[in-house]
Amino acid sequence: MGFLVTTLIFVVIGIIASLSARICCNRGPSANLLHLTLIITATVCCWLMWAIVYLAQMNPLIVPILNESE
Amino acid sequence: MGERGRGCCPPMDLMRSEPMQLVQLIIPIESAHLAVSYLGDLGLTQFKDLNAEKSPFQRTYAIQIKRCGEMARKLRFFRDQMSKAGLPPAVRSATQAEISLDDLEVKLGDLEAELVEINANGDKLQRSYNELAEYKLVLQKGGEFFHSALSIAAAHQREYASNQGSEVESLETPLLSQQETAIDSSKQVKLGFITGLVPREKSMAFERILFRATRGNVFLRQAVVDELVVDPVSGEKVEKNVFVVFFSGERAKSKVLKICEAFGANRYAFSEDLGKQSQMINEVSGRLSELKTTVDTGLVHRGNLLQTIGEQFEQWNFLVRKEKAIYHTLNMLSIDVTKKCLVAEGWSPTFATKQIQDALHRATHDSNSQVEAIFQVLHTREMPPTYFQTNKVTTAYQEIVDAYGMRSSVWVGKGLREGGEDLVETASILAGVAKYQEANPGVFTIVTFPFLFAVMFGDWGHGICLLLATLYMIIREKKFYSQKLGDIMEMAFGGRYVILMMALFSIYTGLIYNEFFSVPFELFARSAYVCRDPNCRDSTTVGLIKARDTYPFGVDPAWHGSRSELPFLNSLKMKMSILLGVAQMNLGIIMSLFNALFFKNSINVWFQFIPQMIFLNSLFGYLSLLIIIKWCTGSQADLYHVMIYMFLGPTDDIGENQLFPGQKMTQLQFHPSLLQIVLVLLALVSVPWMLLPKPFLLKMQHERHHGESYAALPDGEESLQSEANHDSHGHGEFEFSEIFVHQLIHTIEFVLGAVSNTASYLRLWALSLAHSELSTVFYEKVLLLAWGYNNILILIVGIIVFVFATVGVLLVMETLSAFLHALRLHWVEFQNKFYEGDGYKFSPFSFALLDSEDE
Repeated sequence: MGFLVTTLIFVVIGIIASLSARICCNRGPSANLLHLTLIITATVCCWLMWAIVYLAQMNPLIVPILNESE
Repeated sequence: MGERGRGCCPPMDLMRSEPMQLVQLIIPIESAHLAVSYLGDLGLTQFKDLNAEKSPFQRTYAIQIKRCGEMARKLRFFRDQMSKAGLPPAVRSATQAEISLDDLEVKLGDLEAELVEINANGDKLQRSYNELAEYKLVLQKGGEFFHSALSIAAAHQREYASNQGSEVESLETPLLSQQETAIDSSKQVKLGFITGLVPREKSMAFERILFRATRGNVFLRQAVVDELVVDPVSGEKVEKNVFVVFFSGERAKSKVLKICEAFGANRYAFSEDLGKQSQMINEVSGRLSELKTTVDTGLVHRGNLLQTIGEQFEQWNFLVRKEKAIYHTLNMLSIDVTKKCLVAEGWSPTFATKQIQDALHRATHDSNSQVEAIFQVLHTREMPPTYFQTNKVTTAYQEIVDAYGMRSSVWVGKGLREGGEDLVETASILAGVAKYQEANPGVFTIVTFPFLFAVMFGDWGHGICLLLATLYMIIREKKFYSQKLGDIMEMAFGGRYVILMMALFSIYTGLIYNEFFSVPFELFARSAYVCRDPNCRDSTTVGLIKARDTYPFGVDPAWHGSRSELPFLNSLKMKMSILLGVAQMNLGIIMSLFNALFFKNSINVWFQFIPQMIFLNSLFGYLSLLIIIKWCTGSQADLYHVMIYMFLGPTDDIGENQLFPGQKMTQLQFHPSLLQIVLVLLALVSVPWMLLPKPFLLKMQHERHHGESYAALPDGEESLQSEANHDSHGHGEFEFSEIFVHQLIHTIEFVLGAVSNTASYLRLWALSLAHSELSTVFYEKVLLLAWGYNNILILIVGIIVFVFATVGVLLVMETLSAFLHALRLHWVEFQNKFYEGDGYKFSPFSFALLDSEDE
């Protein structure tokens, strides 16, 4: 699974979450906008975290060096 | 003023505080009480004090408030009596009939008089009962003295008689027989004696003083009373001695009496005659049992009375507090010159207009008033209060944001500790909640606060523990609401939805960090790293090699426990902190754009938002870009070197530190449109861009406005808008120097802040490192060590220690510290980009709030 595929998964999850929030708790346009903002922010935060960790391991400059005892 | 989403963007819940209006209510005096009461039930009006210059005694309803105060005092008296008697007031039931204030006042007065009388009688009875009990003791012990003395004397006499056979001594003073034998019987005087009880701790001193005062001409006998005696005066249980003191002469008697009084020794009459003694004892015992029944009946009666009070106590208490609040509010209204109506002014949300009018209408109808109350909206230049409609989930987050106003006190200590970094920030000490209708940081805080917490608290095992704890609180929410909780428990309960989000995000970040109580799992794929050769000879020297695709989700489990784990994680988490920080600070600056658009303030867009964006991103945005490029290309470039020499020598060759072509194009013979030079120049230009134009433009705007104000009176709405446009300095005199200094401070704060705030985000790295190291220590040094002994007992002890360390240190203390650091990142690093926070909170007159606040 590459970077783009997982990113796409995040996007899809975000869209599904927004849609379900829209369908499940529809409390008027202003409340819906708040829910949408929250879901987008949460998705972006989670994606950012994952992307940073993934990118950092893509081309490692150092590799795991096992301890002597193991 | 009314419409929402004035400048930009569709309206969003929680983003802007509710639009408010200043309303004037003119209420006929006969329906005023009812109207205020209905408005209190509604709880959406904040009354202004229109009689601020009057003292509390000069106000219209001072007498009624005094009456309510008196009734509240009586209720407090009942509560004290009930708590002394161990009767908790019953929970308020809605079924009880309404009672009017006047009836209640009479009733409370009667009840109080009755209770006071019962108490006084009870005290009197109890006192005489205690006195009798002491008397009985004296009779018993004193009787023993005399009895034993008599028998000794008789024995003496027999002996004496057998020895001498002549002189017969009288038995009149048997106790003194030993000493008195030497004294000439002709000098013998009538001896007096006093009996009583003295507290045991004073008995030694009592004896000594008696001896000294009478120069030894006194004889004292004491007997210890084994059980505790209730002192009739104080009503306390004390240890006491029964004493008998013999003396001769009236002077000695008066001295002894005085000393007895001084020592709190209670005296009781005592007869020498043995027959009379037994008669007295019988009599006293009889009266004691009689009194006992009387006292008990009194207590039962009192208990019944308190029980009936307790049943209705809460209802009465609420009624009295409600009435007091109503009269207090009525006192804030100004009375019309005709004395026929009251005029109220106050803030209310615009959406409540209909409800308020309804309440007024009902009040008019219910009080059979001839005249309707008048409701009208006033136009004002005053800043309305800030009111956010929150639900049980968002309340806790809004409180986190609102607590920002309180940080000034926190700051003094913190600023001292952190030294220079916060020096500039202390210049912007603020108080209060969000300014009216400014963008509310609470919206993004709902997600970013728990997220940043979780970055520092990433461990999905700990996250699950936290989740279970908070789910317990949420499921039993109703039960927790009804009962009183301790301080810490109350805080945790209030923030249960914050903790829920924190737990969910820490499970996520725990999966990213691949830590479950510090143990990694190969959940998503096999590790990307393998040995270089089948024997794995090089694995401890050169290391493993990446053979498969990158681990798809989170940190590769192969890193755990390896020698290069720390260098790798440090580099990763440090860079992650900077990326997250730059992202959040950019969000903060974009929020300031929302504010500028909403208040239609183009100066802030062009001379604040844009240069700030350019400054931050040309330095730290560029750094973030370099980090990402370095990761993507696997370059060996040294980012510190790049960043430092970007300033020191923008034209120098960076050699092997070059990350991408065009970063430095010195070797190519182009004109110096080099990226780094351009960025540095942009950053440098944006500083005067932020500093200079805004004060001058404001001055021009002010002068133009000043000229206009002679033309036509501005409409209410516009005047409020223009006030908002001028930030806090729109009204009154326009002080250019003040504005300029303000802008200077603001610019310096932003420029220095861009550096210090980015550095401040490194706390994400530090805290998350501390958390993972601590949990590794607990896992390896406690659990694995105990496991290694192969002994059940040691294993159990190890598990207990591990559980307590995990709960105490990681789940409680680490949660607190990560919470505080996330709080700081929001209050300072995020909110100082856009948040003014100089508003005041909407505090409506509401009976629902009466319940929560204690007197």
